[in-house]
Amino acid sequence: MDPVLIGELLSLLMFVAIIGVLLLGFPVAFSLAGTSVAFAGIGYLLGVFDPSNFNSLASRYIGVMLNEVLVAVPLFIFMGMMLERSGIAEKLLITMGRLFGTLRGGLGLSVIVVGALLAASTGIVGATVVTMGLLSLPAMLRAGYDPRLASGVICASGTLGQLIPPSTVLIFMGDMLSGINAQVQMQMGNFAPSPVSVGDLFAGAFVPGLLLIVLYMLWMVVKAVFSPHSCPALVVSAEERANLWKDVLVSLLPPLLLIFAVLGSILAGIATPTESASVGAVGAIFLAATRWRLSLQSLRQTMLATANITTMIFVILLGASVFSLVFRMMGGDELVAEFLNNLPGGKMGAILFVMLLMFLLGFILDTFEIIFIILPITAPVLLTMGVDPIWLGVIIAVNLQTSFLTPPFGFSLFYLRGVAPGSVSTRMIYEGALPFVALQLVAIITLLSFPELVTWLPNMLYGR
Amino acid sequence: MQALAVIIWCISRFNIILGHFFSWFSLGIVLVCFTVVVLRYGFSIGFIWLQDLYVWLNAMMFMGIAGFALFNNSHVRVDIFYRPAGLRRKAIIDMFGSLFFIGPFVWVLTRWSWAYVERSWRLGESSANFGGLPGLYIIKSFILIFAFVVSIQALAMFLRGILVLTNNEKLLPKPYRYQEEP
Repeated sequence: MDPVLIGELLSLLMFVAIIGVLLLGFPVAFSLAGTSVAFAGIGYLLGVFDPSNFNSLASRYIGVMLNEVLVAVPLFIFMGMMLERSGIAEKLLITMGRLFGTLRGGLGLSVIVVGALLAASTGIVGATVVTMGLLSLPAMLRAGYDPRLASGVICASGTLGQLIPPSTVLIFMGDMLSGINAQVQMQMGNFAPSPVSVGDLFAGAFVPGLLLIVLYMLWMVVKAVFSPHSCPALVVSAEERANLWKDVLVSLLPPLLLIFAVLGSILAGIATPTESASVGAVGAIFLAATRWRLSLQSLRQTMLATANITTMIFVILLGASVFSLVFRMMGGDELVAEFLNNLPGGKMGAILFVMLLMFLLGFILDTFEIIFIILPITAPVLLTMGVDPIWLGVIIAVNLQTSFLTPPFGFSLFYLRGVAPGSVSTRMIYEGALPFVALQLVAIITLLSFPELVTWLPNMLYGR
Repeated sequence: MQALAVIIWCISRFNIILGHFFSWFSLGIVLVCFTVVVLRYGFSIGFIWLQDLYVWLNAMMFMGIAGFALFNNSHVRVDIFYRPAGLRRKAIIDMFGSLFFIGPFVWVLTRWSWAYVERSWRLGESSANFGGLPGLYIIKSFILIFAFVVSIQALAMFLRGILVLTNNEKLLPKPYRYQEEP
């Protein structure tokens, strides 16, 4: 048999095998690396893989380790964890709820806003949905909210963190797309391409993120008008009312200002994401200290959580790069290019296929795994076809977010199930998510029809 | 069996200590990077070695703590089937994975990175940035340190599987056994 064909078949087989292997439940990073090594071994025996290719592994790893942009990841996680462990996030949510809760549907609206902001700082779907589920689900149920609506709001705004800058997902995607874009432009003979940065991706995700928040809020308003029993107003005691403005000044404004300052300085191009993130992290420590919530214990918890989550994410990247190395060296990338180029519908067909693949993978894998596996093998082809890198990054984020929300496999639904009280049935969680899935589809269609919604802000800010 | 328990305890204890040590690096990254920002925007001065420092701290942190993360089960799993599985089944999956996934991966990484790291030591390589830190070979060595901490923890995982399958898990102190799902 033709060695090229054997290599391509083997790389395809490897992809399928990995999906099966991952279902065993061994840590993803090592399953990826181990299965890839096994297939490299088979490829070596069949004469289609040269083990000396592994020589490039070390320099790839050093490239990840010495990447300055990616340092923003632990910094943002530190900031998010500090806000969470010191109880600032909780106070923020409660105060916001009290401020707008006296309106019908107001508690739901504040959960959407705060959820999106908090989710952004960690960018990890599971963690955010769990936190929000523990904090705001009981509050909403106590207020007499329809459990379906309450769980839908929490799952949807929890996944929004993927998209709202400074999402850690966007940092990784921005960094990967910037490398892939430079490579693709070079191959197409453009030796001075306009670079893609993490800041560009943040700016590109800003309007779509806002669009989704507005869509969610509109749905909340519709519910409040047409089905008032599903989201009644909070009853606030006179004492709570008297303290409300003090709480707003102390609990609400400082963390909001911090988050906006961090975001604003990145978008305005004043500081790099890494620099802003360090200011955000120090700001979070400062806020915790002014509330007497900064103890050695909360600091140690924050540090341990930060280090653990950071290593979890980076090690997936290390494992996935073994996969993409073996996949590429066996000719898998040519197979992908050939396949995507021959899909009906040209550029659009290829985009839709990749989106569908990612959407389905979203049922078993988390964002980081999916982008680390799929982006390196498909993005070069898509960018060569002329897809805008920033638009691609943003549409992937919205797409994955939708996947995490779709019953019956959506990730965030599982996480909420884990922390929701027994009175909220799984069926209710599924039903609650459906309207939000519909809203997501509206957003995806809008972004497909009007790519300017993504490209406008980065163009205006940085004149790309 | 007692000996296995002692080995598991030693390995895990080592990675726990390492994990707590490297977790302080996260605070280090925050403070060093913030200092760089203050110096740059407040005083318009920049030290390249300081910029190297927080990047290097991050590299050492996530590579050095990877074994600890394996110990405390921080590395994500696809848990559709794993989570509901019984203790013995979990143990078998973990034994299989540590032997056939982590083993070959760590071997490949060590085998093909050794020369790369050795060369860096021989040349006494320092940061590629002008005015950066000396001792880049230390950072490069962290590839091998990563391989080491992960492989010993995988060994502990394998041995723990043996204890579970022979109904001897009780020989381990509680934090070292399989944790109940919350």
